[in-house]
Amino acid sequence: MAKMVLSKPGGSRSNKLRRNEAIAGFAFVLPWVISLLVFTAYPVLASFYYSFTQYSIVQEPKWVGLGNYTTMFTADPAFKVSVYNSAYYAFLSVPLGLLSSLGLALLLNMRVRFIGGYRTLFYLASLTPPVAGTIIFIIMFQPRGGLINGILGWFGIQGPAWFTDPNWSKPGLILLSLWGVGASSLIFLAGLKDIPAELLEAASIDGANVWQRFWRITIPLLTPVILYNLVTGVIASFQVFTSAMVIGGTTGRPQESLLMYFVHLYRNAFRYFNMGYASALAVVLFLAVLAITLLIFRSATRWVFYEGELKS
Amino acid sequence: MSKTSSVRSSIVSRRRFLKLAGLGGGVVLIGACAAPPAPSPAPAGETAPAPAAQEGAGATAEPIVFWTPGGSAVYCQNFNAISKAFAEEYPGLTVADAQCGAGDQNFLEVLLARVAAGNPPDTTIIWDSPVSLAVRGALEPLDDLMRASRYSQAEAWPPGVLASCQWQGKTYGLPTAAGTYAVYYNEALFESKGISAKREDFPKTWDELRKLSKEFTVWDGDTLKSTGFLPTVVDNVELNIFSALNGGQVFDAANNKFTLDSEQNIEMMQFMLDWLNEEYKGDLNLVNSSANWNFYPDGNGRPPEFQNGTMAMQSSGFWVAGDMYGVEVKPEAQNWNVAQYPVGPSGSGTKSGYWPNWMVIPKGAKRREDAFKYMDYMSAIGILTWFEAIPDMPTNKNVDINKLLPKKVAEMRGEEFARDVLMFFYKQLDVATPMWTSPVQNFANDQITRMIEQVYTKQATPKDALAEAQKACQAELEKVMKA
Repeated sequence: MAKMVLSKPGGSRSNKLRRNEAIAGFAFVLPWVISLLVFTAYPVLASFYYSFTQYSIVQEPKWVGLGNYTTMFTADPAFKVSVYNSAYYAFLSVPLGLLSSLGLALLLNMRVRFIGGYRTLFYLASLTPPVAGTIIFIIMFQPRGGLINGILGWFGIQGPAWFTDPNWSKPGLILLSLWGVGASSLIFLAGLKDIPAELLEAASIDGANVWQRFWRITIPLLTPVILYNLVTGVIASFQVFTSAMVIGGTTGRPQESLLMYFVHLYRNAFRYFNMGYASALAVVLFLAVLAITLLIFRSATRWVFYEGELKS
Repeated sequence: MSKTSSVRSSIVSRRRFLKLAGLGGGVVLIGACAAPPAPSPAPAGETAPAPAAQEGAGATAEPIVFWTPGGSAVYCQNFNAISKAFAEEYPGLTVADAQCGAGDQNFLEVLLARVAAGNPPDTTIIWDSPVSLAVRGALEPLDDLMRASRYSQAEAWPPGVLASCQWQGKTYGLPTAAGTYAVYYNEALFESKGISAKREDFPKTWDELRKLSKEFTVWDGDTLKSTGFLPTVVDNVELNIFSALNGGQVFDAANNKFTLDSEQNIEMMQFMLDWLNEEYKGDLNLVNSSANWNFYPDGNGRPPEFQNGTMAMQSSGFWVAGDMYGVEVKPEAQNWNVAQYPVGPSGSGTKSGYWPNWMVIPKGAKRREDAFKYMDYMSAIGILTWFEAIPDMPTNKNVDINKLLPKKVAEMRGEEFARDVLMFFYKQLDVATPMWTSPVQNFANDQITRMIEQVYTKQATPKDALAEAQKACQAELEKVMKA
């Protein structure tokens, strides 16, 4: 068929048109592609190279082989501390964030008055500049006179010292991370809206109660959205920076409990001018997040369901 | 089929497109990184003027590019007034409007990137130690320019302050302004206890200070109601001061060695810890959660206790003299004064410290000589205008300090007192201990902050915490020096 079309008298004109269309299409995406290559791909590749050098931006990079990696794993106690802190944060904040945003999405999916207003309100919180949001939380989590401990006090509970107590600073930071669940809630909400009403109605007619409908229909059909929010949540949690930096500074006060991986990376790059070492930290973070993401994707074949998909 | 293939290959394939885009990207990069074009040659028949003649005549039309790391609008705009006066003093030289900060980006990151790209500003103020940047090849040495300058010869600066710009015999910056440190105290509180509030009667030793402090410290259960003197060394500057007061130092620049774990420093930290245990229940969290023991409102909106009249003494810099009026100063706190630091058990005399605004010329600056003229002018003349807007202490000895008056202090306490306070802090420059001299200053600052926290929260003994900080700082120093 293709041969026949191409051998028609108008074939060369059609080819020219297709070629012109292709060129025009590529020309339109060219700025973006060049920007991707120059400002994303090149820095990523350069970081790999710099991770094998000693480099302070101003001086020529000096090749040190695996020196930065050896230092990281054998001679930098702050590396281990920051890995522990970030892993702690990620393993608690991601599930908690998913549960909270799903819960919020279920509430926002209800048919009540002013629901549009509520949706806007919860999303607005996630638009607050991170520094401002963090400062508000610092004030709320004040051990004396703070809102949270004040509320705990009504129930006779002596609130902890939160951001001044190394045992409570990370839980405080995790609670702070929930401030931004509005954005992922909207994604869940979109997923909930996509669930066919007839499925829920059919289940209801068959006698399924609310919990059964939620567990057997809503959750399975939401799993692609859960997967998306899980992956982006894991990546974001390992990159937590602003809130930890505003509260704990470059030393991760109190007692390095808020020394997150990204803070350690930042201070090596821009405070200590160890750009080579910071690049090595970035490479390790990239590989770690990549490995976790691949694991999640691998596990997804078992728990993520797509509409119309047949499972053996 | 073959025809189909030939047609397909004639359309730009995705692979080919990416290849071309990569090539284009490379060309863009090379273009961006290329050296700026050389100045156009003089027209035929004309001889280009010699550099000296150019300089003398001020023939360069391009303005001097000047940056500052940030600051308030008043601070930033004031530089433009100084630049205008400079242009009148040096005909032919102009200074572009000051670039204040680097927007959302880290100032040092931008500055270093511009140095690496060969396109830095001609001169800039920095709030990070010049030595750290000089060691990494980011700054121009200034000694030849200083020798030939009007106001900035090496002798024109207090040695302890100029030391912050010196590394291995070369000078890499001018400490144009530096707020010195001393002890502020509440005269009314002293008098209420029948204690002399005269400056000359202020305690001369740490033991005397500790004894006096107890007079004012009051606890109500676990709430601290009022304090004498809080023995909390808070940062690198205070650590340097208290170390020097006890006969020690933090970094030995002459021998390029950290001395954090010296006997004097262990004794100093132990003294402070014992004091905290004895007078402040050994719990810094209790102290800090009770109230805001500072001169500024804290992040929780709590007012500062010095201005509330419940804090008898506290260490801080010259700028506090004016800044303290940023909040309400209660009547019982209005009569305050300043005194020199008392001396530690192993010390031999009082010392002070400082926090400077350094002016430097980044490596590769195109207008080195002209930029230095601006720095020279700023240090001796421009600083007078600077002080009018933001009272940062001038350090150059050619500045006529008598022409200055901290306005806010004069307004609140009268001209005589304001002049007395200014002269007092100015004289602290002469007893300033050398500091900011380490090539790994920021790393050391973080290690010092960590060490202080470990000691005050009893995570480690002073000896162990100092030893750990010493080991980390020395290792980082050696790594940098090796590079």
